[in-house]
Amino acid sequence: MTQATVAPFRGQAESDERPLPSAADRRSKQSLLFALPKGRLAQDSLSFLERAELSIPTDTESRKLILPAADGSIGFVMAKPRDVPTYVEHGAADLGICGLDVVRETDRAVYEPLLLPFGHCRLSVAGPAPGSATAHVENPDAAGLAVKPASSAQLDGTPLRYMSQPRIATEYPRLTRQFFAERGVNAEIIALGGSVELGPILGLADLIVDVVQTGTTLRMNGLVEIRTILESQAVLIVNRASYQLKAAEINRIIERMRLLTT
Amino acid sequence: MNGHVPFGVADYFWEEANMRQGLLDQLMETFRGWGYGDVIPPMFEFDSTLSAQYDDRLRSGMYRFLDRDGSTLSLRPEFTTPVARLVGARLHDWPMPQRFCYGGSVFRYLEPQAGRQREFWQAGGELFGAPDPAADAEILALTATALKVAGLTQFRQIVGHIRYYRSLLEALKIDPQQTQQLQWALERKSEPLLEEFLRDTPLRTGQRQAVETLPQLVGENVDSILSLAERHIQNRGMHESLQNLRGIVDALIGYDILDSFVIDLTEIRNLGYYTGVSFEAVAPGLGTAVASGGRYDDLVGRFGPAQPAVGVALGVDRLLVARQRQDGQDAGAGQHRLQPALALPQGSPEALAQVQRLRRAGMHIQVDVNGWGLDAAFLYAAETGVRDVLVWEDGFQHHRRDERGDFVLLGPLEVGGLAGRTEMSREELFK
Repeated sequence: MTQATVAPFRGQAESDERPLPSAADRRSKQSLLFALPKGRLAQDSLSFLERAELSIPTDTESRKLILPAADGSIGFVMAKPRDVPTYVEHGAADLGICGLDVVRETDRAVYEPLLLPFGHCRLSVAGPAPGSATAHVENPDAAGLAVKPASSAQLDGTPLRYMSQPRIATEYPRLTRQFFAERGVNAEIIALGGSVELGPILGLADLIVDVVQTGTTLRMNGLVEIRTILESQAVLIVNRASYQLKAAEINRIIERMRLLTT
Repeated sequence: MNGHVPFGVADYFWEEANMRQGLLDQLMETFRGWGYGDVIPPMFEFDSTLSAQYDDRLRSGMYRFLDRDGSTLSLRPEFTTPVARLVGARLHDWPMPQRFCYGGSVFRYLEPQAGRQREFWQAGGELFGAPDPAADAEILALTATALKVAGLTQFRQIVGHIRYYRSLLEALKIDPQQTQQLQWALERKSEPLLEEFLRDTPLRTGQRQAVETLPQLVGENVDSILSLAERHIQNRGMHESLQNLRGIVDALIGYDILDSFVIDLTEIRNLGYYTGVSFEAVAPGLGTAVASGGRYDDLVGRFGPAQPAVGVALGVDRLLVARQRQDGQDAGAGQHRLQPALALPQGSPEALAQVQRLRRAGMHIQVDVNGWGLDAAFLYAAETGVRDVLVWEDGFQHHRRDERGDFVLLGPLEVGGLAGRTEMSREELFK
């Protein structure tokens, strides 16, 4: 079955676009607000919007919080990636782009019509590589609370459910808890704001859950991937009310983006 | 005592309290105008009663506590279930249809967001004992009317029919995991997830086409969407749900509200206890629904003889936020704030008798109880936004604050010289 068989949400049945009631006309033309993630996905998001022939802000380095598109049709806010789904759920922004990992972790009530062809990565469980120095670092304070796997060398082929309460450092506490809970493991989640690779090195955690693109960072820190929790890529998200209230404008954007995704 | 309040509740005072109470009054008055009678269910009930509805999210968000005899009680998270209990258990032999309206606090243990604390206000109406599409149409039209009364001009009502989706599931005969996959795709309006479902799930051609068509069953063109859906009917349930929607749309023609309609047969997020039509109203500037409702024919029967029922609940707090965003910032800035006149009786019993007469005529008047002189009275009046000061000198002398903030003597108080805070002027406050 090819992808082309699925019609877009809101398809041909909408072809005869009905004008809004006159009172609403003026406001319906108000521009959309688009939330984009700062950091890793920022440049890819902007180039993608450009390829989709959507007007993008000319000066993204500006200190202004809301950046108008070059033609004024759309406003952009550059937000912390984690905040993008929040902005969109609350309707502060009509649309947003962020990673699927963030959408699943924040679990906000938004529509997510399209996956976008960039920002590919995976959310993985990783642990100390067999025989690596980090596997042997002992932290006397943190050790001994739970039965640990006899050797991390076994982790690769060993069901995670054999682990008694592993301590897991992550920026993704919700997905991590869920992943281990599904396997009957009541993991001890250590939520960090970044640099989770440090967890096993310092003896803070047995394992980590983090996004992996090439695996270089993991290798440099003596860690190996054990399981994949989620294959992630960029995703377009839409506020549920805006989807209906600004249907015409939002559909125009979805249509243009879809041309680049199929 | 630190004077804090718990997370999720709030104090409302001054103009904000006025606006909230005023909006609730207007909504209730609208419902009454459609023949809906007031009902005041208890603030808390047995947990088992309130859990009779099926919405897991709602159920997990209830405030529960123990009664002294050990039974579990819950604060009401909504009004529909208590009213359904009342009708099922006590009013089942009263002639149908029965119409009820309500307004007040409900409680949900959720993260507060714009226009919703953990205690928030709902107003709504429920119509029992009428299975006909005309009843669904009445609730939809009543919702649109209430939203207009609340001052919203650009809302949309997104109308779905849960039976269409449930019947499709019956036709597909897929396992729970596949059902979950389809539900996820539809809830998120995700094309990739729907493609994935179709890749993973073997279906007969007709069924596959019915699923492939789902995303197109969203939009403003009610007639063409229903026609398209009718071409992919798999069983009696899907047929009947579409017939039902057509009936509702036909019954709505006279109400002239169809231009705010959006059909969305993939909107299945708020399954709750609905059995037929279900809808949400959205307004610009607010990412979440300001009203939601639908048909729930199975709920009353849990408490007594079954009765068909359909109803709607509006979020008063969210309506206020939506109206404020629609009208711009200045609408909430208190420019309409009109304080009651301040009367200085100067120790005269006659003055108080006169104040009583003025109050009976609808004037809002506060009487000086501190024995103030003019200067103290003017100072207090100026600081609290009082415009009119009445000073007794064998009859009230009327002082009014001018644009510069000085009080000017207008002379003896004349009939009609005071703005009253009657129902009439309260309505003016809102327009």
